[in-house]
Amino acid sequence: MTSTETHKDARIRRTRVAAAIATLAVVVGALATVPWLVSDYGLSLMVNVMSYLVLTIAWALFSGTTQLVSLATSAFFGIGMYTVAMLIKVLPLYATFGVAIGVGAAVALVVGVLTLRIAGMFFVIFGFGLSEMIRELTVWWEINQTHTMGRYVFVDFDTTMIYEHLLGLAVLVFLTGWLLRRSRLGLALLVIGEDETVARQVGINVPFAKVTIFIVSAMFMTLTGALMAPRFGFINPNFAFNPLVSFQVVIMAFLGGLQQLWGPVLGVIPLIILSEQLQTEFPFWYSVFLGLVFMVIVYFLPRGVTGLLEDVWAALGRPLELPRGFAGPLLDAWAWLSRPISLPRGIAGAIEERWSKFMPRPTQRR
Amino acid sequence: MPMAPLLEVENLTKAFGGLVAVKSMSLAVAPGEVLGLIGPNGSGKTTLLNLIAGTIRPDGGSIRMAGEDVTRLPNHLRVRKRINRTFQLVRAPPNMPAIGTVMAAVLYGAGERVRFKDAGYEAAGWLGEMNLLTKADRRFDQLTYIEQKRVELARALATRPRVLLLDEWLSGLSPSELEGGISVVWSLAAQGIAVILVEHVMTAVRALCHRVIVMNAGLKIAEGRPETVLRDAEVIRAYLGGDDA
Repeated sequence: MTSTETHKDARIRRTRVAAAIATLAVVVGALATVPWLVSDYGLSLMVNVMSYLVLTIAWALFSGTTQLVSLATSAFFGIGMYTVAMLIKVLPLYATFGVAIGVGAAVALVVGVLTLRIAGMFFVIFGFGLSEMIRELTVWWEINQTHTMGRYVFVDFDTTMIYEHLLGLAVLVFLTGWLLRRSRLGLALLVIGEDETVARQVGINVPFAKVTIFIVSAMFMTLTGALMAPRFGFINPNFAFNPLVSFQVVIMAFLGGLQQLWGPVLGVIPLIILSEQLQTEFPFWYSVFLGLVFMVIVYFLPRGVTGLLEDVWAALGRPLELPRGFAGPLLDAWAWLSRPISLPRGIAGAIEERWSKFMPRPTQRR
Repeated sequence: MPMAPLLEVENLTKAFGGLVAVKSMSLAVAPGEVLGLIGPNGSGKTTLLNLIAGTIRPDGGSIRMAGEDVTRLPNHLRVRKRINRTFQLVRAPPNMPAIGTVMAAVLYGAGERVRFKDAGYEAAGWLGEMNLLTKADRRFDQLTYIEQKRVELARALATRPRVLLLDEWLSGLSPSELEGGISVVWSLAAQGIAVILVEHVMTAVRALCHRVIVMNAGLKIAEGRPETVLRDAEVIRAYLGGDDA
């Protein structure tokens, strides 16, 4: 079949792509100058934001499409960080990054092949277990084989360098997500997320598609961990494989909403800023706070902040409703509470949104 | 049918625990032939379709497609060997626009490789053939039952099957819809597709099938031209007491 795209369609599409690239270039250019504009504290905050941004978008590449919630983020982040810590004395820094990505991809391959047949809830538990298992194994290895309980990472790779590399990685993961939405594989993953039986009946190699995106997502997470290693002088397994990373990423993704590629930005920034404040001033309250945020999202923001913004935008264009008196808010509250709790609705809503992008736009002729 | 068979099934057997759902079943269909599978509920018709499509694996027997053994092939590779099916309870990704499912079928099916941005146009073509072009962007779960059935058929056809398995695709339709459905299946057979149809609607079986197989308790108990077999089927029903044949 030959292309049915008209010249006008092609021109519109080229203009849009050019505009998108220009916007991206301006934003990235501005972000790249940040280290010279902010204080040391500001920069360390930006490094955190950038690293969680990569983790969250990478998480959404896999979990947003297949609807399988992964708690294995900390496993891959930790693999990246600890591989660098172990090899930094024998290999150049960039070589350790390369090895880390290789290890992360290999673990993702094995884990993916073994577990992606497991359904929903069990996969969630498995991801959590994987991270804990790798942590315990690393601890065992270090104590019994190398007789160390931590590693020093002293290397000429300052915070500015870390930030610029993370920024580059963020651009890369963003582009990957953008291309995925316009690709055969991305479409296959959406079908798989909704109905695997139909996916097979359409001719999709389901395990292959899932494992592929799991590996891609894991490679981004691993490299993030690797880039973050020089940030901390001393790294031990409990620090590298911190399960909080996995939970924070899930909450950030849900808070931001998955229907837009940039949704995670709106989840990452507020949570990083709040976690900085809370972890320094009330360290014990941070987990409580995270739990509360999660409940708020599930009950009130099933489509995340981006969903809220879309609703507000839609409401602005709607005619005003007449006041309904005291009963109104009560009725609304009742409707809210009696609504079924729908954690995956966020993603389902996202898929619907995303779908509109795949639609061919018919050319209007007169 | 004088033509050589396209799909040949030999001694196919499947048991679920102690229940033998399909017992050494053999059948063959030729291009352009419509084969009907009838029998009471639980007689193994749907299991047989699942086995042929690759949704489940057989315990014994063989399936050959155009002379090639496909018994061990997984579901998605049988789709590329040009066997496809519809489901008894209509299935498609519920939150996806109708066209999305069909696009996936165009991209992953047995047809020529298509560029991603052209897949939408081809998918629209398939939906157009099912008179659904105006509903292409509608979410699957917002379509009516008959529209959903047509989307499912468009999805199956977009993978370019040479053998098409229809599991009660004509059930639950109004008389006029049934007439439309029958003509759709008829035109598919006229294009040379081998159709195997599991059906309870006897009007459709009489109007469409060149040949009918009657199943009971996993066994083939009769095979032949519909007018003869259906007459026998009445007798069988009288003896076996199936609620519908």
